[in-house]
This record gives sequence, C-alpha cells and structure tokens, in this order.
Amino acid sequence: MAGRGKLIAVIGDEDTCTGFLLGGIGELNKNRKPNFLVVEKDTSITEIEETFKSFLVRNDIGIILINQFIAEMIRHAIDAHMQSIPAVLEIPSKEHPYDASKDSILRRAKGMFSAEDFR
Amino acid sequence: MGVPEEEKSSLLLDEKLLCFMEQLELLEAKRATLNSLIEQGWFSISKARYSMGNKQVSALQYASEIEPLVYVHARTQDTSKIDFCTERPAQHCNNDSCKDQRSVEDIGPREEGVRRRNKPKKTEKDTSESEGSEKSPEINPVQKSDQNPQQDPLKWFGILVPQSLKQAQMSFKQVIELSAEIATLQAAVLNIRQELKLSMSNKRTARERLGSSVGQDGRLHNSIDSEQEEAKAEHQATDSQ
Repeated sequence: MAGRGKLIAVIGDEDTCTGFLLGGIGELNKNRKPNFLVVEKDTSITEIEETFKSFLVRNDIGIILINQFIAEMIRHAIDAHMQSIPAVLEIPSKEHPYDASKDSILRRAKGMFSAEDFR
Repeated sequence: MGVPEEEKSSLLLDEKLLCFMEQLELLEAKRATLNSLIEQGWFSISKARYSMGNKQVSALQYASEIEPLVYVHARTQDTSKIDFCTERPAQHCNNDSCKDQRSVEDIGPREEGVRRRNKPKKTEKDTSESEGSEKSPEINPVQKSDQNPQQDPLKWFGILVPQSLKQAQMSFKQVIELSAEIATLQAAVLNIRQELKLSMSNKRTARERLGSSVGQDGRLHNSIDSEQEEAKAEHQATDSQ
C-alpha cells in the first residue's frame, strides 16, 4: 500500500463523476466499495455525509473532490475536517459555478485577517 | 536592544505575509485554470452524449470492475509541508497491436477446451495427464483479470467512441493533475497561515513585555528625579540657615 500511492475520491453529479472516472481515478475495492459517489436528485444528505466521512476515515484516499453545491449541504462536516490528508477540494458543477467566498479553505485563510489580528 | 528584535520579527512577518499572498494568488490562478478545464470536459461529454445518445454516456455504463489508473503521493516535507503529486503507473501493452496479440492468445486455449469436450472417455492414466493439460485454461481467467486493470475507461462507453469523449478524457486527466497541485497549494496556504498566526502572537507578547519594561524604567527615572529635587531642596534650606 505504501508504494502504491493514494486514491482520489469524488463526490459529485453524474457528469463530474463520469469525467473523473474517464480520467482514471475510479476504484472498486475488494469489498466492492467505490471511491466515488454519484449524487442524484434523490440522494439524501445523510448518505452524502456518511460517504464523505467514510472517505475521511479511509487511509488509502489522498484527495477528496467534491462539487461545491454538495459541499454546501455538508458544510459542517467539511469545516470540522482539519487534517491535511485527505485534502478536500471543492470544485464547480454544471449548474453552480465555483464561488471562492464559499470555499472552506479560503474562508479559513480569510479568517486570519480579522480586526483582532490588526490590533 | 529590544527595538531591533521587534523590527526583525516585523520583517519576518512581512516576508511571511507576502509569501502567503503569493500562494493565494497562485491558488486563484490554478483554480481558474481548473474551472475552465472542467467546463471544457463537461462540454465534450455533452457533445459525446449528443452524438451517442442520451443514455450511452451515464453512470450505468461504468464497468463492474474498476481499477485506478492514477494515484496520488502525499509526501510530507520538513515543517509539516505536504506535497501531493500524481502518478500514472506505466500502462503496458496499451497499443492496439499488443491488445490484438493478447486476444489471439486468449482464443487459442478456449478452442482447445471445446475440442476436448467431445473426446471419448480415457483410461485413468490419460485422465491424470489431461488434468495437467486442463490447468492451462484455468490460468487464462487470471491473465484476463490482470488485463482488466489496464482497461481504458473509454471502452466502457463502446469500442468506437466519438472524438469528443476522448477530448473529455484528456481534459479530466489535466484536471486531475491540477487538483493535486491545488491540494498542495491549499496545504501550503494553511501552513503559512498557521505560521503567521504564531509569529503575530509572538510579536504581540514581545511588544507587551517591552512595554511593561519601559514602564518600569519610567517609574524608576521619576523616583530618581524626585529624590534629586528633594536633595536640592534640603541643600537650599541648609544654605539659607
């Protein structure tokens, strides 16, 4: 496992997942657990959150890519993740363009320049 | 002695802040590239869907066995700096000619197995010999499963896929490379932010310490001055007497 490197996981809409799987990141492991989740209209927030948390726990995942509109649904879970591995990257989706002001990493960086810091 | 120290820490703080800003700028630029590449990929997928049919490019087409073709290595450098880099294991026999050779090899033993099925019953010796020879078809599924990991995801959507789907694959491959770079930058930004916070608080405490020591000095000077004045007054009094 150490020599093999880590995987890239995706939580996104159908086209995002299809694109990244075309790129070659997909994996179905021995327990037939995928490293991707196709979020459809009927996918519940609990399912998304559970999948995200399961990706965080897996030690063979290095980066988690997630559509920003899905990240908004589970913002508390993303904000609670403070470790650098796996890294969480918010990406745009077809219907929702990327908004830097919503990105949890940039918000964390922005939070540094509060009034308290300039005293 | 205290002032140069403060200046030094201020300079260090400025340096870190500039580095932080540079990283943020780079992150923003890479983000913009990633966004445009993803858009390009979606557009190509939509074009492929238009030419192939609505249901031909969907999650239903994913293979039942999926093996990753790209890995990411997270290298922890000094001072908790993390570097993500992607790696694509060399795909052997990716050429069409090589695949053709394999397919010919696969067909051969299968035909042999079928031929043996109609053969008349043999003696015990013959059966023991044939057991050995029958082992060869059993190896083939293993070879086949070895071949599976190297399978191009493009093949899930058909053998003759449109050019637009290949273009989509190319854009998403670039997106994957970029996402590793962005993950590295994000980690760097958070790291510098932490360092900045630490050095800011250090500077603040140093300033407070300096301020308090200056205050004490001030009080000391004041007391000396008052003592001198008292002494002068005493002298004047003795002179007048």
